[in-house]
Amino acid sequence: MSESVLNKMPWVEKYRPKSMSEMALPSAKLKGHKIELAEELRKFIKTFFREKRAINQKNQSIKSFNRLHGEKEQKKLFKLSQDRVAILLEGPPGVGKTSIVYALANDLNLDVIETNASDVRTKKSLESKLTETVKTRGIMDYLTQSKDKIILIDEIDGLYGVADKGAVPTILTIIDTTQFPIIMCSNEYKQSLQPLYNKIHKLEINPLSSDETLRIIKQILKKEKITNVQEGIINSIIEKNHGDLRGMINDLQGISQGSIGKLNSELINSLHRDSTEEIFMVIRDLFEEVSTLKQAKVLTNKSDVDYNFLYKWVNENIPSFIKLNSELVVAYENLSIADQIFGRIQKNQYWSTLPYFYDLFAGGVTLAQKSKRDNHGFKKVSFPRYRSTGMFSLTANERLVVEKINKKYEISEIEAIQDFLPFLRVLSGTSRKQLKLVSDWLELDATEKKILKSDSEK
Amino acid sequence: MTENIPIWRIKYLPKSLDEVCGRSKVKNRLKEYIKSENFPHLLLLGSEGIGKKTIAKLFCQEFLGSFYEPNFKIVYADVPLTSEERAKARSEAHYSTSKIGRLAGKTITTPAFIHVKIKPFVSIKAMGDVPFKILIVKNFETLGSNQQGFRRLMESFGSNCRMILISHNTSGIIDPIKSRCQLIMVPPVDIEEFKIMIATIAKNENLTIDNETIEHLYKITKGKIAKAIDLLQITSISDNNVKIDNLYENSMVFQNNLIRSLLLMTFKGQFHKARELSRKIQSNYKYSVQDLFLLLYNELSKLPLSTYSLSLLINMIADADFRAIDGRDSDIQISSLLSKLCYYSEFL
Ligand SMILES: Nc1ncnc2c1ncn2[C@@H]1O[C@H](COP(=O)(O)OP(=O)(O)O)[C@@H](O)[C@H]1O
Ligand SMILES: [Mg+2]
Repeated sequence: MSESVLNKMPWVEKYRPKSMSEMALPSAKLKGHKIELAEELRKFIKTFFREKRAINQKNQSIKSFNRLHGEKEQKKLFKLSQDRVAILLEGPPGVGKTSIVYALANDLNLDVIETNASDVRTKKSLESKLTETVKTRGIMDYLTQSKDKIILIDEIDGLYGVADKGAVPTILTIIDTTQFPIIMCSNEYKQSLQPLYNKIHKLEINPLSSDETLRIIKQILKKEKITNVQEGIINSIIEKNHGDLRGMINDLQGISQGSIGKLNSELINSLHRDSTEEIFMVIRDLFEEVSTLKQAKVLTNKSDVDYNFLYKWVNENIPSFIKLNSELVVAYENLSIADQIFGRIQKNQYWSTLPYFYDLFAGGVTLAQKSKRDNHGFKKVSFPRYRSTGMFSLTANERLVVEKINKKYEISEIEAIQDFLPFLRVLSGTSRKQLKLVSDWLELDATEKKILKSDSEK
Repeated sequence: MTENIPIWRIKYLPKSLDEVCGRSKVKNRLKEYIKSENFPHLLLLGSEGIGKKTIAKLFCQEFLGSFYEPNFKIVYADVPLTSEERAKARSEAHYSTSKIGRLAGKTITTPAFIHVKIKPFVSIKAMGDVPFKILIVKNFETLGSNQQGFRRLMESFGSNCRMILISHNTSGIIDPIKSRCQLIMVPPVDIEEFKIMIATIAKNENLTIDNETIEHLYKITKGKIAKAIDLLQITSISDNNVKIDNLYENSMVFQNNLIRSLLLMTFKGQFHKARELSRKIQSNYKYSVQDLFLLLYNELSKLPLSTYSLSLLINMIADADFRAIDGRDSDIQISSLLSKLCYYSEFL
């Protein structure tokens, strides 16, 4: 790559580790036990290829046997168990999940076939992208003696269809048919991925330690020949990013390439990012720049953020940008009608009303700001974390506790959660002795017992 | 009592119909059924928390005697199916085997709730020396249109299994179901019986509590026995001498004062905080949107507001509730309601 291209590259890409030796290794756990992440993954990949080869050979002879024999005598083909085929890396953004796959592949001389939330949007394309690639080694592969591959299904929690389980069966089929090992990455636990968790191992990756990140940051500064960034600023960058190295590197680039004079911690704190950079920008522009309905429409049309998401983001972020109650009420009136329209579109397929939906949730909301916009100071755009399921469902721990209660006292799940457990909390909150009496009598173990601690700790 | 149960509402649960406090009319009726070893499908009606389920369960125990376990089941109609249960129902939907007529080749699906929770129990033969098995369905009114599915079941499996449906009111129950049941009203325990029960507990636990305090206890808890015993237990922890003031103080802890704080926050115009709190309440208590609106509505009615303001606010809640039925994202409708409360309460 030419010098000029390199200079324009974001540092996070420029310094994406190319080999395991360039990586800061995050600590990781498997089923609660500490593991050596790199070692575990290397082992996983190597074992896969070894066992797959053996099984392919066996199946070869079974297939020739089957061809010669009648239906009754057919033998079953061998299959690798799913946890030997696929593995899941779960951890916060920017700790090197994606990088570690590429670095390993590079070290082991493998190609990576990647799909991630931004390029695969439908179940169909997931299928067309992966199903064919994984099933067979193409003829070309044999002819050219091409490299073996790793399949990387990145950002699986953001994959279209994951929310409604559409993607999960597809992934399971891919696991059953693939000729290549599969590594998946995810930021967080997702209920809808449960069928996967049951079948494959999950490596939980922790945020990077400050020492490790400091080492990488210093390397980068050295390569960039930057010497005037004070220790204090580096530390505050490290601190505010909570082990997210991508974030730190972005901050670093931000301050080093800005005017150095303004270098202060306020500036650093005003730098904010997330993996979903684009949506942040759209939201920010929507609230801070847009001044006509038309602009709002252009903006929402142009962005390829799914409107399904976008209007939830708008909901989440209204309070950051609109402070006056008189304006909030207008914004929410419009958003509320938008939501109603959207619901009817989904139920009755009134697609002709979609334009109203757009206008109301975008322009209608942001233009509720009548007062002079306060564009000073940085406003945090946040991710719509809260999700109301609209359905009564219990967490695993709650379920266990309710079952224990039911051994002694017949009560429905709803009564238990809404009525009985709140009482038990008050009762157990009166003294340690009561807590012990209650939890002993219900035979709760240490984890289950936590449910009796008061609300505020939740 | 050999085992010392630390939760009084369980410790003082009646062990037989006779031990159930008050309600002698209902009890006598049920005892008649036991004597004659027969009864029709029953619909027990009465307000929340007064002991319908307890009575029904004890009745079943005495009716079925030693064959109680295998022949008894209780189902809560308001608890939705888990995703596994729904998957099971889906996978077991079957094709009609008839080759002609309206059903030919069609998939026959029973409503998932009935398929998973009701059908298997009512269709398996009663075991042992009992005339039939018994199924209790609590909060039957919440089944909505699934109630229709019970019509056939009650007839075709009626001789194998009797049902005891429990509900707060008749208005939520469809006519064909009412016509298949014997209706029994279960009244709240009356004050005199209540006094006797509390006095017995007090004696057993070495508490002093005077007549007037017991009357207040009855009033605060509206005759809900479990609630009353809960409150008595909590209050007695700080002082064996149970006094009215302490009773009130503790009853505040139980009332949903989170809902009240939520309302007060909106009256102060603090939208952001209010939304955070409402989300927290919902996820901790698993309230549905409808639950939340209803709680807000109930709490609102307790506040000293003019009729005009009150009707305005109720209108807002009703409107939000209505929109949430249409909409896709209930958090938006809740936020919208909160923003209205924040803004308009300035003018009240
Ligand atoms: N452990 C690490 N070692 C070295 N660089 C890292 C590490 N983690 C993250 N980075 C830097 O952050 C960028 C993004 O990391 P990435 O692997 O995409 O994170 P994730 O996939 O976990 O969100 C990389 O290009 C690299 O510059
Ligand atoms: Mg990544």
